[in-house]
Amino acid sequence: MSWFMGIDIGSAYGKGVITRDLELVASHAIISGANYRTSARAIRSALIGKGKLTDNDIVATVATGYGADSVYFADQKASDIVCTARGINNIFPQARTVIDVASQSTRVIRLNESGIVTNFTVSEKCAAGSGGFVEVIANILRIDLADFGPLAARSKNPITFGTGCAVFGESEAITRISEGIPKEDIAAGVNKALAGKIASLVKKVKLEQPCAVCGGGALNTSLVNTIEKELDTTLLVPPNPQIVAALGAAVIAATPATSQSGEKA
Amino acid sequence: MYFAGVDIGSTMTKVVLTDKAGNLLSTIKGPTGAEHRQLANEVMRQALEEASLQIDDISYIVATGYGRLNVPFADRQITELSCHARGVYSLFPNVRTAIDIGGQDAKCMKIENGRLVNFVMNDKCAAGTGRFLEVTATALGIKLEDMGDISLKATKKVQIGNLCTIFAQQEVVALISRGEKLENILAGLHDALAGRIAAMARRLAIEPDLVLTGGVAKNIGMVKAMKESLDCEILVPEEPLITGALGAVILANEIYTKAVAAGEALSTKARRLEKATFFGEEHR
Repeated sequence: MSWFMGIDIGSAYGKGVITRDLELVASHAIISGANYRTSARAIRSALIGKGKLTDNDIVATVATGYGADSVYFADQKASDIVCTARGINNIFPQARTVIDVASQSTRVIRLNESGIVTNFTVSEKCAAGSGGFVEVIANILRIDLADFGPLAARSKNPITFGTGCAVFGESEAITRISEGIPKEDIAAGVNKALAGKIASLVKKVKLEQPCAVCGGGALNTSLVNTIEKELDTTLLVPPNPQIVAALGAAVIAATPATSQSGEKA
Repeated sequence: MYFAGVDIGSTMTKVVLTDKAGNLLSTIKGPTGAEHRQLANEVMRQALEEASLQIDDISYIVATGYGRLNVPFADRQITELSCHARGVYSLFPNVRTAIDIGGQDAKCMKIENGRLVNFVMNDKCAAGTGRFLEVTATALGIKLEDMGDISLKATKKVQIGNLCTIFAQQEVVALISRGEKLENILAGLHDALAGRIAAMARRLAIEPDLVLTGGVAKNIGMVKAMKESLDCEILVPEEPLITGALGAVILANEIYTKAVAAGEALSTKARRLEKATFFGEEHR
């Protein structure tokens, strides 16, 4: 039996998985913090612990994400686009498009039945078009990120933000709060604005069904529903959407090794 | 006979009072009050007090700026572009290009003989406005007004990789923890903002004399960075915040004088010193 590790150090969260061949065994996510090297090490020990393994059980490790260079124990690096595609293909082999809503940018990737990337587009690094907007407004509303989706889902009257800028949006949100506008209408307004930007990004690479959504943004169920409405489609949501790229990294780690063992057999 | 120009910006309200001959009687600026916006009328009250005048002594009042829409104490609203152009021209008669960088927007105006002939502006993204400096100064724990002086000590400019203000805010904190010097980071921030404003301004043909106004013009580091980005001499008024209100008072005087000469009756509103309403709010 062979175990593989995938580590994805994003700008906000560091994620890792262990797979046995291509099956998920353990996953772990922490805040990336200032020192990515320390975070990578912490993710590895947590994964080894959860899998009841030792470092030597891991055949290969692949690193991805913004802080991939800091994963000093990785055998190789892979692009987060490629890893996200492989990861989603492992969970939903039928998916032909995947929307990855990350903290600093949003990516839309088209892929084939083998999980090979056929086209992709990445948003500008703009908080208003990524999960960053949700983080900023959650902070203003003084709510946990986990509560953002359920809160927004209660809104019947989402506010409309005047500009496409998260900084100006932050000021607008403060003004609305002082005017007594309910928090859920502000949260739903953020999801509406974000979903609009994501939908136009999807249209750039053309939507091919079925379409999946992943990244931390996919934890915001109300955002997912709003994107579904914008695109007039149903989205596939993995049970743990944050770890998709890490899973893809582990799949890449496993790919050459399994083919080698296959050759031996 | 007295006139007033009121420029209600997103952050600051500016009031200029003059007599018939255009002599400045009072120049006051104070916070608009971002959250409750009840303070614009307070700034007007202070300006009147300083000039020992009552609101009914003022023959005509022009309001301008982001908050000009419904000012209960103004007789007429005129866009900030027209007022800025007029105010800058009154101070610098050779002005051809004026750049105004405020806390909520940035605009570049082409002026011919005091008349606005063309403009470009950004009010969509904070990264191209004074807000970029406000947010990053707060993240760095320094006062906005100290940024310029500190940046002059820079020995190099630290490249700021993030365009988005939110991410730049996180970036500057990371740069400090990585040991970069504050002054070098500030020089990098000024360079980044100046580069974006210059790119916007170049959509119009930039001709001298070029005048820089708005709160950002008080930042000496930004004036230097703009000079480098545009490769052009830059003139800055002694009080760069009040050109909009100055233009408004000049236009108030002109409108009133012209109407009187033509024997027309000008409608002056009931002068209530109450809070103003902003754009977009009347629909809610």
